[in-house]
Amino acid sequence: MPDGKPDLSGIWNGQRALPGQEDPVMLPWAADLTKQRTENYSADDPEARCLPGGVPRAAPYHYQLVQTADEVLMLFEGNIHSFRQFFLNRTEHLKNQPPLWYGDSIAHWDKDTLVVDTTGFNDKFWFDMAGHPHTTQLHVTERYHRRDLGNLEIQVIIEDPGAYTKPWVINRVSTLETGIEMSEYVCNENNSDALHLVGK
Amino acid sequence: MKRIAILCALTAVAFSQKAPDLSGVWIVSSGLEITADPPYKPDALKLWQEHKANLSKIDPAQYCLPNGVVRMTNLPYKIVQTPALVVLLSEGNTHSYRRFFLDGRPHNLDLDPNSWNGDSIAHWDKDTLVVDSIGFNDNTWFDDTGKPHSDELHVIERYRRPDAGHLEIQYTIEDPKALTKPFTFTRELVLANREIQERFCTDTNRLAVK
Repeated sequence: MPDGKPDLSGIWNGQRALPGQEDPVMLPWAADLTKQRTENYSADDPEARCLPGGVPRAAPYHYQLVQTADEVLMLFEGNIHSFRQFFLNRTEHLKNQPPLWYGDSIAHWDKDTLVVDTTGFNDKFWFDMAGHPHTTQLHVTERYHRRDLGNLEIQVIIEDPGAYTKPWVINRVSTLETGIEMSEYVCNENNSDALHLVGK
Repeated sequence: MKRIAILCALTAVAFSQKAPDLSGVWIVSSGLEITADPPYKPDALKLWQEHKANLSKIDPAQYCLPNGVVRMTNLPYKIVQTPALVVLLSEGNTHSYRRFFLDGRPHNLDLDPNSWNGDSIAHWDKDTLVVDSIGFNDNTWFDDTGKPHSDELHVIERYRRPDAGHLEIQYTIEDPKALTKPFTFTRELVLANREIQERFCTDTNRLAVK
């Protein structure tokens, strides 16, 4: 980029966890809730009702990063066709915000890695289909590093003393999508998922 | 060889000219409703009357479905601008985005031949960003009063920033299936001194979430 920063722009395939990831260490209530949700076939997953996946839930859809000097936009193809904003022009988190699905994200460059720091979450979304929960104390750090033209490494550090006894680190990768555009995914158009999620 | 050199030089000049900066958070200030009736053909006029009689029941926005490109809300929009791509973020409606491609690509309807927001390619005409969109479905309305269109809709938007605090969007709307002739209108927006907020229709709207 003209400002000497790496260029993360592009359409990326959904983030995939690399093999050999550690399991989270949960407080008893969080472990119980996860078990309950999994055993109930994820019937209450908000994402199936066209609600945002939150952070750091990885969807199997494309996303696009758009980069300016002031911010990096993350445009989602799905699950909902929405967006996150990583603010490079602000160093303090917003105060007195209502709790958010995507939180408040401030970012900075650590050499060639974009570090995104997010707080201010609500406690509604699940981290994954298994139903890993969190509290409003959630703090997510994402480190985006474009290892080479086609690979974006993402290290996700989940800290939430309300639900996990130690930080949960997940290493992911996205590959550059060169052959196809993102489609217009409109979850609310004929969403038949929710009706079929009846649980046990 | 000389000709190629001149061409290269001209291209370099063209690219070095700075495009106007439309970046910012904008709010519609001129009213959301299109005041003049569109020149509808009889069937489309009849459909509009049906919509008007049932607004509260059939409004797609009530079901958290996209407004499309002509209908706007009174909540802020944000323009994020790069040389090859301009993104329009919307706080309200579905809290989604439109992308205007400035990289010279032609329209491509392979993936989504009939979408809510269509396919938008753009270019600069002096100080004006011209956005050309086709490939729509016929589900969206031109404004809150239920003005319909067909899937032959073609929208040309001309975005111009007459001064730092104002943005003007001039619309030319063609739809040979629904309209007897194209019509135009203009919206004005003012710069808002705030960021767009997170707002999810599906979070609060029980009609949309079963």
